[in-house]
Amino acid sequence: MAISLGKLTLGRIVQAAIVALVVGVVGFAMMEALPGDAAYRIAAGRYGYDMVTGAAAEQVRSELGLDRPAAERLLTWVGQTFTFDLGQSAVTGERVGHAIDHQLGHTVELALVAVAVALLIAVPIGVLAGLRPGSLFDRISAALAIVVRAMPAFLIGIVLMLVLAVELGLVPAAGHGHGGNFVLPALTLGIVLASVLTRVVRNAVAATVASDAFQFALHKGLPMRAAFLRHGVRNAAVPVVAYLGVQMALLLEGVVVVESVFSWPGIGHALTHAIFERDVPMLQGTALTLGLMFVLLSFLADLACRALDPRLNT
Amino acid sequence: MRLTVEELSVHAGSTRLVGPISLAIEAGEPLTILGETGAGKSLLAQAIMGALPEGLTAQGAITLDGRRLDTLPPRQRRALWGHEIAMLPQEPWRALDALMRSGEQVAESHAIVAGEGWKTAEARAHDALSGLGLEERAMAAWPGALSGGMAQRVAFAAATAAGAGTLLADEPTKGLDEARRDDVTALLLRYVEDGHLLLTITHDVAVARALGGKVMVLKDGEAVEHGAAAEVLHAPKSAYGQALIAADPANWPHIIPQRGGEPVLVAEGLGIARGRRLLLDGVGLSLRAGQRIAVVGESGLGKSSLLDTLAGLIPAAGGAVRRLGRGAAPFAVQKLYQDPPAAFAPRVPLAESFRDLERRHRISRAEREMLLERLGLSPGLLARRPDAVSGGELQRLALVRVLLLQPAVILADEPTSRLDPVTQRQVMEVIGAIARQSNVGLVLVTHNRTMARRWADSTLDLSDYTPLRAAG
Repeated sequence: MAISLGKLTLGRIVQAAIVALVVGVVGFAMMEALPGDAAYRIAAGRYGYDMVTGAAAEQVRSELGLDRPAAERLLTWVGQTFTFDLGQSAVTGERVGHAIDHQLGHTVELALVAVAVALLIAVPIGVLAGLRPGSLFDRISAALAIVVRAMPAFLIGIVLMLVLAVELGLVPAAGHGHGGNFVLPALTLGIVLASVLTRVVRNAVAATVASDAFQFALHKGLPMRAAFLRHGVRNAAVPVVAYLGVQMALLLEGVVVVESVFSWPGIGHALTHAIFERDVPMLQGTALTLGLMFVLLSFLADLACRALDPRLNT
Repeated sequence: MRLTVEELSVHAGSTRLVGPISLAIEAGEPLTILGETGAGKSLLAQAIMGALPEGLTAQGAITLDGRRLDTLPPRQRRALWGHEIAMLPQEPWRALDALMRSGEQVAESHAIVAGEGWKTAEARAHDALSGLGLEERAMAAWPGALSGGMAQRVAFAAATAAGAGTLLADEPTKGLDEARRDDVTALLLRYVEDGHLLLTITHDVAVARALGGKVMVLKDGEAVEHGAAAEVLHAPKSAYGQALIAADPANWPHIIPQRGGEPVLVAEGLGIARGRRLLLDGVGLSLRAGQRIAVVGESGLGKSSLLDTLAGLIPAAGGAVRRLGRGAAPFAVQKLYQDPPAAFAPRVPLAESFRDLERRHRISRAEREMLLERLGLSPGLLARRPDAVSGGELQRLALVRVLLLQPAVILADEPTSRLDPVTQRQVMEVIGAIARQSNVGLVLVTHNRTMARRWADSTLDLSDYTPLRAAG
């Protein structure tokens, strides 16, 4: 059933608020649940492992108010967040909002290139497989997709790093700064996304080509090529775009892992470090940004589906 | 012009699905193939077209104007599509691309298939569609907004734009009410008058009668009768032909209308909406015990939604539904569904479904056995799963299931539209008789007005209650 655009937008805004609250609270609770004394870890983050002393830890504790009850600290964070203030990093003292400002740009860059790579892999393979379901090509691509999907992202990243950077020396292994640095993280993330996306494209194309509408397009005399361009692409794109929206979760998960593997200075990288260093404000800030990005990207996918399918607008 | 088919049969591996069939069609003399639903009639059209689904093969000679088609390589056969031979789809709503405006779907046939420039193509498409009585508004609409009749006209214009002289129409009136059905047959007749070849496949005897020419009756994939329409339709020789003609609602005996007992279900000023769109407004209905009411109207008008509102499954957009007397009891209003297999749990033996129902409602097994006997069903059927029972039997089992609850009202949503005519008649007779005997009020939703007239005590025409929809 069609939902008006206003209702959809409102729904997404409410959803964003709920995501923000849940991510903040759960992130906080998980950090609290970790064993060990956070003050020591933070001090280690600030001064290095060899320099941590009891006195330094105590100083961190009193400075950050870690001895205050957990509920009080959480409420302070919620209150701040409502005024769009994410606080300061417990380790560097940098404003979290400022740090994210930098990281977000890098992450979006990487994510966009990765989605482009995923589409470049998934669309041709998916279309070819979908036009001939059950063919050898279809079955090989299905097997590959399953193998790739079954491998964790960091493993794919390390394999690519070993082959392309270490053995062949084609690209730098890690880092950020010039174009060559894009290759490994974007390729890794792109391959991870492409695995399932290929199958989605394949299923969408196979269903479209088998549909009564497509068969009728052929029966009325359109050549295969014209029929596919005019009655296949757009129809198959609707489920693919809808799936891309859902797949954003996989993308964000991949960002965290891949950025860490390749030392890419984005949000995912910052998030992992915040966990190691018990930097609660940084963790909450980065997790919140990723959560909101997910809501925003799903919303964009919804809008794209509406642009493709007029039935969703009536 | 002439199309001949000799000993045509369709196979899946080594299994013969339909045929062998021989037929000949001349210009001006259409051929209509009548037969059971699902008896392979569609495969015949696809075999002639050269558009069989993968895995199926055809044997036999197909000759169009002295040229053998069956021996042509697939690419050359496809090259004939639209230019010399065209196929009108079964369900035009599904055959049109939902994401392209209807006018453009005709224009592209002119432009790409007939090779006219896009400007000319658009103008020709416009002329063709207005010639078929379609308004500008309908040409600019997405297919989902068209009525079934309009969609079929768009499909016709799109299929024949490049001047195909042979048309294969596969159940072209499926799901249309009589008025729309007659529109489509008129369209086909005009095509014949233009000197073209027409092969129509249908299970509707009325369509065959209207088209005239020749008729072939198919049973179990074989022709049991073949001859001039007037002869076959008036004096069929084969037993199946006779049953088929007798099963045409126009040949059903006239009903003696009855008033029924006390009222069980009353609706006043009922409004039916889908989302925010009001489909029907001001519908009034009063159903008495033992009475049969038919609700008629074209597909998409809101017939099924009305039934769901009467059943209390969706809220009314206006007015009220009241259950009175016996109708007020908790399980007194029951539904019979359109697609019998979809109304049963698919992987469970039927007996198990019945046992669950009887346990839930504390009904004795004897009751079930009595009902099975009354409806002429063998108790052995219950050992099977729903997909191993024929559609007619399954619909009667659904009726048994409903009757076990001793309803005061049965709401039947096109209960026979997926059944072939002979089975349809049997099932409708059983439903009607049981309702009278058990004093159950029946509301039947159907798009077949003739059936409604012959079967129901009174008829409610929903097209009188549409607030928005333009005629088309």
